[in-house]
Amino acid sequence: MDFKLFLATLAGKILAFVIGVFGGGATAAPGLYALKIDPNFVSKLSKQIPQGSIIISGTNGKTTTARLTYDILSIKYQVIHNRQGSNLLRGIASTMITNCSIFGKLKFDLALWEVDEATLPEAINNVFPKTIVLLNLFRDQLDRYGEVDSTRVKWQKALRTLPKNTTLILNCDDPGISILEKSFAGKKIFFGVSDSKVRLPAVATVADVKHCLVCAAGLIFTAQLSAHLGHYRCPSCNFKRPIPSISATNIIFKPDFSTSISLNLGNQTSTVNYPLPGLYNIYNVLAASATALNYGIDLATVIEKIKKFSTAFGRFQKTTINDRELLTFLIKNPAGANEVLRIISNLSKVNLLIILNDKIADGRDVSWIWDTDWEILKNKVDNVFISGIRRFDMALRLKYAGFKLSKNNVYKEVNYSILNALQKLSTKDTLIILPTYTALLDVQKTLSRAGEKVTKWQKQ
Amino acid sequence: MAKTMTLNICHLYPDLMDTYGDKGNTVTFQKRCRWRGIDVKVANISVGQPLSNFDFDFYFFGGGQDKAQTIVGIDLQKKKRHLETAVNNGAVLLSICGGYQLLQKYFKTKTGEIIKGIGLFDAFTVGSDERMIQNLLVEINSELEQDIKDSYQTTDYRLSTTNLIGFENHSGKTYLGKNVQPLGRVIKGAGNSGEDKTEGAVYKNAFGCYLHGSLLPKNPHFADYLIVKSLERRYGKVKLKPLNDEIEWLAHKSAIDRTRSQT
Repeated sequence: MDFKLFLATLAGKILAFVIGVFGGGATAAPGLYALKIDPNFVSKLSKQIPQGSIIISGTNGKTTTARLTYDILSIKYQVIHNRQGSNLLRGIASTMITNCSIFGKLKFDLALWEVDEATLPEAINNVFPKTIVLLNLFRDQLDRYGEVDSTRVKWQKALRTLPKNTTLILNCDDPGISILEKSFAGKKIFFGVSDSKVRLPAVATVADVKHCLVCAAGLIFTAQLSAHLGHYRCPSCNFKRPIPSISATNIIFKPDFSTSISLNLGNQTSTVNYPLPGLYNIYNVLAASATALNYGIDLATVIEKIKKFSTAFGRFQKTTINDRELLTFLIKNPAGANEVLRIISNLSKVNLLIILNDKIADGRDVSWIWDTDWEILKNKVDNVFISGIRRFDMALRLKYAGFKLSKNNVYKEVNYSILNALQKLSTKDTLIILPTYTALLDVQKTLSRAGEKVTKWQKQ
Repeated sequence: MAKTMTLNICHLYPDLMDTYGDKGNTVTFQKRCRWRGIDVKVANISVGQPLSNFDFDFYFFGGGQDKAQTIVGIDLQKKKRHLETAVNNGAVLLSICGGYQLLQKYFKTKTGEIIKGIGLFDAFTVGSDERMIQNLLVEINSELEQDIKDSYQTTDYRLSTTNLIGFENHSGKTYLGKNVQPLGRVIKGAGNSGEDKTEGAVYKNAFGCYLHGSLLPKNPHFADYLIVKSLERRYGKVKLKPLNDEIEWLAHKSAIDRTRSQT
């Protein structure tokens, strides 16, 4: 018997039990302690999973993609997935502790891990992935992650160590992702958006890749879809957007925040309607579909699951309180926030509550709000309310974006800001709430207290 | 009143040095001019575009990724003479982080590679393993203090501080030479090197610093100081129309509160 593993499992389980009793939300702690006792805890348990592991990583969309992939794969497989847990190695360990026997035995066919960008190399070393899905790389919380270029260099190093029977599933529209195929000799599957235009208002771009990552010449974009995502080629070497084997065309964004696409797989094309807004969710849908298809799920079943999917909590959520509709979109970096603003600016009239925090999980540097194109909303906004720790930075940003706002609409308490904003709206109005990550947790509390008439409520 | 005053702004390498949210600086400079009826023209000047055909009053140079910085560093050599002449003739320049580093003599990376700067500031930077990432509070150089107080006009706020607040995120350590003054003294944070309590550099009307945030929106006194200095070369001493800066100062103060709570 592996005594270290047994001790790590036991300690983790006891800690998880204690936390459970006291109602704490610290999902990473049991894993953290188990890893302290046995640093190989995750790798030992990973070896027990017959179909191996799938890793999903990228700056934006990994939670939604992982959940959708889980939904689809669960039809055929028993899947272990860090749905509740954190996306660091300790979160994976915690998920394993919850699901394994006291002797550290796991009974699953397949593991699906959402992995933080900075954790990817460490995760690769510990979970021995058979498949790695890489969505995108955007500037994000530079105080935590550093620059996009340096993250990519770390990924490239890690990918070079992969055995050849691994499969990489890559977003071909992000030149910073497609370049990764050069670091790996095995099977690659590309997904992307093949429409050359998206019918959303343009935003000031925050492109993080403008030059060829092979020869440093300026890239030519024949289509720029979102930030540096699009159809590109290098004018001086042979680097260009790979042709995707799974793609979306004929994109229609609907007023009720649902989307219609043609999903193209080889010479098969199917029209799919699903209840998620925005361009970024198209990439999530494509990535999940590519993964599921690669694991032997048929296209019809994949489409059925996509149609019924409801998004990860707070990424996009509809609630109704006192006849007023609330729409919550998580914002956390310029590329993601810009896509959210593009969706919102499609509305004729907007009532907005922005909640800006600067805790570690939000990024302590709030500079990113200046890289976000709030200007596109200035003529659409009826009422704007602001809350969060850095509410005055946000108010200042909107002032310089040309919004008319009053100091009276800036609130210290998140709870109060939501209730007060609702009070100032007429019935049938919609309040759009844009919280950063830790602010989202406060929003959840208020909504769960106030929301008797919750139409769409998905508990974590 | 005399005819409308005009300022010409040059945003240096906005497409490459745009990673750290420094865009708020040019937005703020423009808006605070326009709110006072001062006309502003902005030119974006990047790789391969010469500066020599222009006479700019204010240059802005922000921070970017290391790779972009290498590309910019090479092109900047071609703009060296123009920038030197402009600054020696009184033009105003604000550079932040990567931009600040490239205006120094050189940047020595951790691996010992030398990236040449243009030496506008008598300073150099050495790469380190130490990450200086936090809110940064700076007491302004006493020689600038009175000038800033004199140039700042506001409707409802009595200027009690000329401190600057921002967010630093760098691992390069900057050391100043004799021919340059620090922008200020570090109250909280690391600043230039984390060793000597200095932050930033001043040479004539050229300023360099590590303050992201963006810097100018929540330091309106410094924004106005740069505007006054930019106008001075063309129009002499100008008294700016006061603005209501209540939100600016609330943001300034709340950022300082966060600084004090950091360990």
